[in-house]
Amino acid sequence: MNPDAQDILNKSADQLMGQLAPALNAQYSQGTAAVMALLLKFAGKEYERGADIRAAENADLRALFAELTPRVGDAALRKRTEDAAATHDTSLAISALNAANHDLRRTLIALQIWIEENGSREDQQRIWSALRASADRRIVSLF
Amino acid sequence: MSDALSENLAKYLAAKLNAPDLTVHDLARIPGGASRETYRFRARHGGTERKLILRRDPPASLIETERSTEYRAYEAFHKLGLPVPEPIALELGSEALERPFFIMADIENAMVGSILAPDPYGAHREKIGQQFFSILGRIAGADPKVLGLSDFEGASAPDQCWRHEVARWEKVIDEDEGEPQPIARAAIRWLKRNPPPPAQKISVVHGDYRSGNFLFDADGDIRAILDWEMAHLGDPLEDLAWAIDPLWAHHDPSHPAGTLARADAIKVWEQASGLKADPAALAWWEIFASLKGCAIWISAAHEYATGRNDDPVNAFSGWYCLTYHNKVLADRLGALA
Repeated sequence: MNPDAQDILNKSADQLMGQLAPALNAQYSQGTAAVMALLLKFAGKEYERGADIRAAENADLRALFAELTPRVGDAALRKRTEDAAATHDTSLAISALNAANHDLRRTLIALQIWIEENGSREDQQRIWSALRASADRRIVSLF
Repeated sequence: MSDALSENLAKYLAAKLNAPDLTVHDLARIPGGASRETYRFRARHGGTERKLILRRDPPASLIETERSTEYRAYEAFHKLGLPVPEPIALELGSEALERPFFIMADIENAMVGSILAPDPYGAHREKIGQQFFSILGRIAGADPKVLGLSDFEGASAPDQCWRHEVARWEKVIDEDEGEPQPIARAAIRWLKRNPPPPAQKISVVHGDYRSGNFLFDADGDIRAILDWEMAHLGDPLEDLAWAIDPLWAHHDPSHPAGTLARADAIKVWEQASGLKADPAALAWWEIFASLKGCAIWISAAHEYATGRNDDPVNAFSGWYCLTYHNKVLADRLGALA
């Protein structure tokens, strides 16, 4: 698709911020238009990276589950993490990646609770390493 | 702006102030956060004119707050001599302007520092920082009973402050999360497992005391502390931790609120409050502050996604601010694991 969505969103944001917002005569409208322009910029960045960061996070979480499952003493949880580790992303649509991610995150929360109560410090740090990587990937930069 | 709102506002004020000739002019909505609709207007009567602010509940409020809280905080701290707008009238009914509202004095020739600006206070950053942390210290040091605010919502005992606030914001996340939040959930568990010492005293906590929530003028004087709608009773360290949170540091966490160096800011607060900022206790409240931020941003995203409040500030909060605080929490808690 040419121009691509990121280009369209970026240029629309620039026009909204630089030309349209200043032409509005109400302070509230100007402020609202400026925030909308910023959101368009964010959306442009998300268009470019959205599938990539979700697929990467999902792969990270599956690898984490595969690594920690042998050390999970609770049978039901071990089955859950084992099953989650074996899943795959079958579509790169954001909605499909999100649905898979939400399932994986729910399993991660259950696993982290168990590890906090029963696991080693190294396993806790391993989970935090995955959470930090997730937070780093998802942060929205202004610049 | 709608003529009907102007007319109804004039009718209300004329009756309230016993000024039958009162008229309202130049009513215009201005930015003022997503949790209240904010309007500036001029009220004329008896040959005089006064610039005023109307703060009205939106159709759906971001964080459900007791409607009289903000107004009563303005009353109490205005009497104490702190820079807050003079409160004029509070209306809890929906007959006059469809929704509850209050009216306060406008602060002229003053501005707000954008939280996105790298250096909003420029040459006045030291002067503003001294005032900012000193005023917060005075709030912390004030006696809620003397202020007439001892019935505010919040903790009733010093050892319950942390528990009350964690429960409050956990409930918000429970109700509003649109997707699983492993970092926020881990933070809640950590906060519960590692409670802080009891508060030194029960104080009025502003609840959203930060850069971007005060007005200052061209001379670098703080003219008004705004947005008291989340005020409550609690541990005064809660406000200090929120004020020094990295999100409000204008991209330089070593200078909280884009003003003083961190150690200097805490020293100013201690001197003004007469309290101590125990480093371990403050560290707990800093983690809590970022968790509270996550809860507010999750709630904002929920309001936007469900169509209850489509102010784009809510989308910005749910996107930019939430990912920011998730990173702060992941870095801090990851280092402690």
